[in-house]
Amino acid sequence: MTNHFAKDSAEILLQKFRAGQVDRRGFLTALAALGLGVALRPGTAHAADNEVVLCNWGGVAVDAFQQAFGGPFTAKTGMKLVIDGAGPAIGAVRTMVDSGNVTWDVMDNGLIDAQVLSAGNYVEPIDYGIVDKNKIPNFSQEFGVGNYAFANVLFHNKKTTGVEKLTDWKDFFDFDKIPGKRTMCKWIQGQLETILVADGVAPDQLYPLDVDRAFAKLQPHLDKIIFWEGGAQSQQLFRDGEVVMGNIWHTRAKLLIQENPDYAITWNQNTLLISAWSVPKGNPAGKKVFEFINSALDPEPQITLLRLMGNGPTNPAAEAMMTDEDRVFNPTSPANTTGQILIDPTWYAANEADVQNKFLDLIAT
Amino acid sequence: MSSRFERFALYLTVPAGLLVILLYALPILQVLALSVTEGSGALANYERLFTSRAVARVVQTTLVVSISTTLITMVIAYVIAFGMIHMDHRQRKLALLMVSIPFWVSVLVRAFAWITILRSQGVLNSGLMSIGAITEPIQLVYNRVGVTIGMVHYMVPFAVLLLYANLTDIDRRVVQAARSLGARPMTVFLRVWLPMSVPGIAVTTIFILVFSLGFLITPALLGGGRTLMIAEYISVQISNTGRWDLATALSAALLIAVGMLLALVFRSPAMRAAFGGSSK
Repeated sequence: MTNHFAKDSAEILLQKFRAGQVDRRGFLTALAALGLGVALRPGTAHAADNEVVLCNWGGVAVDAFQQAFGGPFTAKTGMKLVIDGAGPAIGAVRTMVDSGNVTWDVMDNGLIDAQVLSAGNYVEPIDYGIVDKNKIPNFSQEFGVGNYAFANVLFHNKKTTGVEKLTDWKDFFDFDKIPGKRTMCKWIQGQLETILVADGVAPDQLYPLDVDRAFAKLQPHLDKIIFWEGGAQSQQLFRDGEVVMGNIWHTRAKLLIQENPDYAITWNQNTLLISAWSVPKGNPAGKKVFEFINSALDPEPQITLLRLMGNGPTNPAAEAMMTDEDRVFNPTSPANTTGQILIDPTWYAANEADVQNKFLDLIAT
Repeated sequence: MSSRFERFALYLTVPAGLLVILLYALPILQVLALSVTEGSGALANYERLFTSRAVARVVQTTLVVSISTTLITMVIAYVIAFGMIHMDHRQRKLALLMVSIPFWVSVLVRAFAWITILRSQGVLNSGLMSIGAITEPIQLVYNRVGVTIGMVHYMVPFAVLLLYANLTDIDRRVVQAARSLGARPMTVFLRVWLPMSVPGIAVTTIFILVFSLGFLITPALLGGGRTLMIAEYISVQISNTGRWDLATALSAALLIAVGMLLALVFRSPAMRAAFGGSSK
């Protein structure tokens, strides 16, 4: 479900560009650097000898990824990065590998997806002989290596709630103390955790998630919660004054605060999800893809992506190279990691399909 | 001469037919095939449709929303279409234009527009509150009410055009005959117009109902995550949870149910007449 987030950050970038907040020259430089890549983009990209094909979620993320990762990679290795924005959904990867006609070398999906895909033997193990594990000490897994992070944060309107500062997720469910509608995501990643800590489960004792307990805690409040499906919708619910508090992505929270200082993020107990590079089985560029991955894990490209799309770096070396402005809304900067809950990909890989369906059933009227 | 021309005309439809087979029939067959090969096999996949409580609820929601959408749409559309056939030429042109304007607006934009109108601080609620008609905002969106409003708005233009086409075909001399025999306007409507438009009503009802069963974006946006209908459920199973067994079995079941519904309807002579099949 990282795909929902990845698509959403591309939408954010497009809006920024339209609003003139992203450097136009940088944007055009990236477009020019694409060269043939732009012309070839529609349809499936085919790997030539000296290139690596990256599949991400399309839209403006194609240009942002080219700027962040393609430029440095070509400068270092002389190889070209071609981006296919078709979206590496689990179903799409499965179909492609099954058909034996694999056209992607590297995919932008999540650590969870990497594990799910590895169970069906659809991804190659990451070659840590080429990819330097030390760059990403915390998120270097067998089939996926963390490329950026994003957080679900507690977010509220200070004016309509009359509350300056929230403490933790207990406030989300305390409708007596703070009346008003809430919003949370209908995709369970990073949602169930917040329900459980609000119910008193210690953050370090969350996994395996007690799904029944979370459902029981949530059920009585369902008529006061609107469930969002995409990032833009979560932002709109706050703008419209439809909700006073919510569990939303940090990228959308940032946009809301920038347009209206009445809003506040409570970083305490945010839930952190890790997106990942993974390699489909039988990728055309073979081992060369790992040179790309290794280059894309450097701090500089990760900071470029943070500035363009808001996605947090996973390479700890990035922290020292950021400006204070970069750090304010970065979910991996120390000021924002107090009480942070790291989502366990292994639990989701094993249980998500089943629990997601039960959750949809629970919230349906 | 005519037979050669007819053959030529037939050949002209071949490319379209091939496209339909290639892009429509084959993928559907693939879905059908997957529904018996995925997961733990055909029996288990289809059995789950009848035993799963979640599926039952999704089906129930879909039926309730679709049937209410159809009923409301039919009443509104009949009134509009009936009005239109009694207009003069210029008025009718204007009315047709008004009816077709919504076709130019994407379903996504319409959903967001409805949110703007219906939300608790939206145009409608603030209007009603400022004139003192209500004191608390009414919940008109992020629930089934909102979904139904959005769907009715989408379906009304289709229904109007279908009903209008049918009503213009009704022989006005029958109406004149009824009047000359002393029937009051209400009697004319109930005993002439209504019975003679039954085929049109039937075709339109089926069309709207079948269309409503497959709504995806409108319920997802206007339902606030709490109105889960079949199309969205299938889409979640395909792209999010990877439960292709459930998704394909449910799609196949929906396809079969709609097919049976159509087959049943087309058995009735009135329906065949409406499509001009056996009326000769």
